[in-house]
Amino acid sequence: MTATALAAPKAPSPLPEALPILQLVGVRKTFGAFAAVERIDLDIRDGEFLTIVGPSGSGKTTLLRMLAGMEAPSEGDISLRGVRINETPPARRPTCLVFQSLALFPHKTVGENIEFPLKVKKVAGAARKARALELLRLVQLPESYYAKNVMQCSGGERQRVALARALAYDPDVLFFDEPLSALDYKLKKVMEKELKDLHRLSGKTFVYITHSLEEAMVMSDRIGVMRAGRLVQVGTPEEIYTRPSTKFVAEFMGEVNVFDAVRSGEGWRIDGLDGPAALDLPPGLRTADAAAVVVRPEFLRFVDGQADAQNRLSGVVFNEYALGSRIQYQVRVGEKTFLLELSRANAWGGKPGDAATIGWDARDAIVVAA
Amino acid sequence: MNQSARRSNFLIWVWTLFVLVLVYLPIVCGALAGLSKSRYFGFPVARWSTEWWSRALESFEVQTIVKTSLAIAFIVTAVAVVVAFFGALAFARYDWKGRRLYQKLVLLPIFFPQPVLGLALLLWFNAVGIQPTWQTAIFAHLVWIVPVVTLVIAIQVYGFDPALEEAAADLGAGRLFILREVTLPILWPGVWSGALFAFLLSWGNFPLSLYTTGADSTVPEWLYSKMVAGYTPMVPALGTMSTLAAATLLLAGGLIAALLRRRAAGKAAEA
Repeated sequence: MTATALAAPKAPSPLPEALPILQLVGVRKTFGAFAAVERIDLDIRDGEFLTIVGPSGSGKTTLLRMLAGMEAPSEGDISLRGVRINETPPARRPTCLVFQSLALFPHKTVGENIEFPLKVKKVAGAARKARALELLRLVQLPESYYAKNVMQCSGGERQRVALARALAYDPDVLFFDEPLSALDYKLKKVMEKELKDLHRLSGKTFVYITHSLEEAMVMSDRIGVMRAGRLVQVGTPEEIYTRPSTKFVAEFMGEVNVFDAVRSGEGWRIDGLDGPAALDLPPGLRTADAAAVVVRPEFLRFVDGQADAQNRLSGVVFNEYALGSRIQYQVRVGEKTFLLELSRANAWGGKPGDAATIGWDARDAIVVAA
Repeated sequence: MNQSARRSNFLIWVWTLFVLVLVYLPIVCGALAGLSKSRYFGFPVARWSTEWWSRALESFEVQTIVKTSLAIAFIVTAVAVVVAFFGALAFARYDWKGRRLYQKLVLLPIFFPQPVLGLALLLWFNAVGIQPTWQTAIFAHLVWIVPVVTLVIAIQVYGFDPALEEAAADLGAGRLFILREVTLPILWPGVWSGALFAFLLSWGNFPLSLYTTGADSTVPEWLYSKMVAGYTPMVPALGTMSTLAAATLLLAGGLIAALLRRRAAGKAAEA
């Protein structure tokens, strides 16, 4: 290395900030008459942790396989740093996919698995081993695992080996196809955090797909929600959580109360509920004739004898569920069921079967496209 | 409970012994026939002798037919394994248009009666003017053995996760590198059993050889001809030798596999 290279600090170039590392424009993928992915436009930023969430069959795996180069789009363009890569095979993309099955080579040791991409690049044996040991440390596996048969590793250890192997390839973008889905809950929680830490350490772009919103919330800088081949909403976890754009996103984000509101004279009422329950809605689709309203269980409260809630409904507490630090109540109002959540410290005094009035404030309701 | 367990254990032993006796008695009879001094087999053996063994080993005729059989079996094995390996990939690994038809067509020759197949091939050789020799027998064996070996290797291929090849390609590897480093090593057990099948099926094949070797002769042909006319105890002697050789081959293969496994385990334990 020359003296000038050492002296001059690396000046941040103005371009990479603006230029997305991966860009999808009108990307569509059809299998026969079936469209798995429908015209997706998406910019993936350099260095971000983006998670694509969606139920099974929403097209998220197909989207990922197109990004990794294992499928070519039927229409539209995928570019990497401004260069079209639609037909570029996986071997010639600076990207690497961690498969759902992990796809570790069963006949190779942990070390040989990690060294595989280095062997492809014809890196000398000693340098390969040094790098493999370095990566083992990075993914928090003991160095003694270097010579271990990969099939003798546990589920969590295999995850780490797969991760180390992908990092050995030194890709600019890492793709993950639900690699944590086979792990038990506790280990999954640990691996989620480790993955996020590794994202920070490596500075690489991570694109992760999962059907678990919980997983997405923990790890991601941004989340994209997919449904039936379309990207319904893209935003930060905060945005997706607090401002879901559709009923689907709101329901996908977890247990929420969703109901349809219909016009009733000058005001609104809940569709399917008789009675006086006039709705006080936040500004939103005020001019429309119908809207879907989302209220999170933690924004509902019991308001017996108080008048401090803008919206009030009377019903019967059907059951209660302990959720660790929180308690959830199922309240039945007419034909409708509402979920209400309180912290354990503020638990409700009644018991299942008791009548109760629940309420919420207009500002806590989210109006979304029906 | 304990008693019924003991009884079922006893029955399992009796049954196993019965099957073993049923399978091995004829082989032992053959072996004894070759070790008797007399030309005609009688039981109990009156006088023991290794005369027929040494005569079989010294016989120029036997040496020639063994060489012919070995040459056919080795070439058939080599060709069948290569053809069947790629055939098995097409059979079980890739999804392509016409695969189902291919799967049926490739297995059809197995169900074709071998004597009829042999005769058909002979007629066909004759029609195109090819003189049948041990080389034409190689072709005849392949017609029947390639489908069998394809099936044997395909069973291994069915258990192969295509994601492994995709992952290797994703990590930058080219086709040949993937074949050498991933596909072949994982499919080796299937390839080895395919090779073993090919060799033994060719070595023991009689109906196809009978029609297609022309003036040449293989071990099963010779054994048959000597049994039909001019019986000599060299027949059971040679049969026993063949069985022992096959058993040795299998044992050696098992031993090598065990050694390889121990070496792999040792390599893992080293760390």
